[in-house]
Amino acid sequence: MFTQFKDWYQNRHDYAKDWKARTGGKVMAYMCTYVPEEILYAADVLPVRVYGSHEASDLTEQHIFGMYCPFCRDCVAQVMEGRYDYADGVMIAQACLHMRQVYSSWEIHKPTEFMYYMPFPIAVESPHARPHLVAEYKTFIEAVEKWTGKKITIDDLDRGIEILNKNRELMRKVYELRLLDNPPLTGVECMHMTSSSQMVDKREHNQALEKLLKELPSRKTDRETGIRLMIVGSECDDIEFMDMVESLNSTFVADDHCTGSRAFWNSVEPEEDRLLAIAKRYLERPPCPTKDTTKNFVRFHHVMEMAKEAKVEGAVIIQQKFCDPHEIDIPLLRKRFEDNGIRTYFLELDVTVPIGQFKIRIEAFLEMLRADELPF
Amino acid sequence: MAEEEKKEYWRWLESRWTSPDIDWKKGKVISAGVDVGSVSTQAVIMVDGQLYAFANMRTGSDSPNSAQNAFNRALEDTNGLTEKDVHYCVGTGYGRVNVPMAQKAITEIACHARGANFMYGPTVRTVLDMGGQDCKAIRIDEKGKVESFLMNDKCAAGTGRGMEVFSDLLTISINDVGQMSMEVEEEPEPVSSTCVIFAKTEATGLLRAGWPKNKVLAAYCRAMAGRVNELLQRVGVVKDFAITGGIAKNIGVVSRVEKLLDMKALPPKYDTQLAGAVGAALFAKGLYEKIKK
Repeated sequence: MFTQFKDWYQNRHDYAKDWKARTGGKVMAYMCTYVPEEILYAADVLPVRVYGSHEASDLTEQHIFGMYCPFCRDCVAQVMEGRYDYADGVMIAQACLHMRQVYSSWEIHKPTEFMYYMPFPIAVESPHARPHLVAEYKTFIEAVEKWTGKKITIDDLDRGIEILNKNRELMRKVYELRLLDNPPLTGVECMHMTSSSQMVDKREHNQALEKLLKELPSRKTDRETGIRLMIVGSECDDIEFMDMVESLNSTFVADDHCTGSRAFWNSVEPEEDRLLAIAKRYLERPPCPTKDTTKNFVRFHHVMEMAKEAKVEGAVIIQQKFCDPHEIDIPLLRKRFEDNGIRTYFLELDVTVPIGQFKIRIEAFLEMLRADELPF
Repeated sequence: MAEEEKKEYWRWLESRWTSPDIDWKKGKVISAGVDVGSVSTQAVIMVDGQLYAFANMRTGSDSPNSAQNAFNRALEDTNGLTEKDVHYCVGTGYGRVNVPMAQKAITEIACHARGANFMYGPTVRTVLDMGGQDCKAIRIDEKGKVESFLMNDKCAAGTGRGMEVFSDLLTISINDVGQMSMEVEEEPEPVSSTCVIFAKTEATGLLRAGWPKNKVLAAYCRAMAGRVNELLQRVGVVKDFAITGGIAKNIGVVSRVEKLLDMKALPPKYDTQLAGAVGAALFAKGLYEKIKK
């Protein structure tokens, strides 16, 4: 049922090359989920999010300092390996400095015909954020129009909004099924679905989602749900890790990370000023820790609501090593979980995933959660 | 000189023991725990939850063989006790899924917690397991249930393997390194604790600079203590405090950990390396009783 999503995820570059050949369109490799994909769809450009490969590489050290996060180092490796050479444009919406360094390396060493750095407000709750972002969008649209030679109309923007909103709405429906006592999908399958949505044409993704939603509610799986877990962190497409965890009689039933729910959770609410509508969506989405600057931590509240709704028994908090925004959040977030009676386990990820080392920790964590099953 | 180079200073003595006070034939439940660690393997046999026999051996390259060898050794001199007489066995440790005679595998974190509760009593709340290639700081309740835990990662610095490297470097028996490290007039600054190889390189430099061996050992023991102290502080130290694992036998490290914590570790009544296997054997007893109900 999830084969198509897995295939897209695993063969993302082949897909993008094929898409270009089929459509004659341009591909925009992008970093960070604050990039307004609606505008790119309006311009008939395919946004493809840059991911790492989880393979060790000797190409990064000369371009990026060792204390940058493994994800951004992995992304630089992909660029230097030439795996994104099909990209016609490259852009980033500012979130963290680590990813910005990827963009800078790309611009210096492998510039494409269109390189775009989009400033993005940090204090998303500030009253000045909306006009700031709308102004940035206007500048961005001008640049894209110049690049593609195509004027972006209101209808184009509406089309972009509709494609994105449809994708969000369908994935939210799949997420509702994760709340069931016996969810018909695993966390890994869900990860293939959400990650691939950031890699392929969302119109095709939407068709696959519609087909999935016809079959998924009645799906009978041959596995037990086991312990209901939530996975929380930054970028997290560590399929091998999630697969290992779910092989130990547990299931990820909720997530908060930018390769999962955080990227698509809310939709653009229609209003006359399309750019303002899009700006509000990105400013009001479940924030990345780089943007969660309020004292009350908007993200924490959102995460707890998700955890409660999904009847989560334990939370696995994973962090890309040296990811400062998450490093600041994690102690407080763990406390918030623990205060709500949800135990947590924290792991730090590198480019490659040390499955053996992590397995013992996860097994012990799960034993702790099901301590009643052991005789004392 | 050549003879000195051939000697394996790191090699600790393997051991076995049988309780003279227990007649296994009178026992209702005979349970076993086999802890296949990265450096050592322990097999423990319990009769009705009391320690009856154990063997403590070096782990070989093959986990099933290491488990079987230790188990067979534990069965020696046990008045005819055989593998068939053991009702239930739990495997634990690094090689826990490769213990041929085990019906179930349980992590060494849960087993060390349970074992420490048995070996040191129900007042223990914080356990530091200093093993061959990793360290664990475990918070437990009065029953020995794990409340939270942390393990070291990245490097074997601060573990038994690291101490073996120093034992070989300084050509001092592993049994003597702890005591020797105490024989310094003034505590030196610790060496690097990030990496065993860095620490060894640093120690080589100190020896060349004229430092006596005991001072170099003191610097390494201090570094190990500092490293595990970081782990303990992160998990939070609550009295009573106990140390398990091979390094618990090293006075040089234990005394320095106690000093950093400003807290004494409970004195061991059993071989500290047995904790994981003891916990496994206790779980085995409970699991057997559960299926017999």
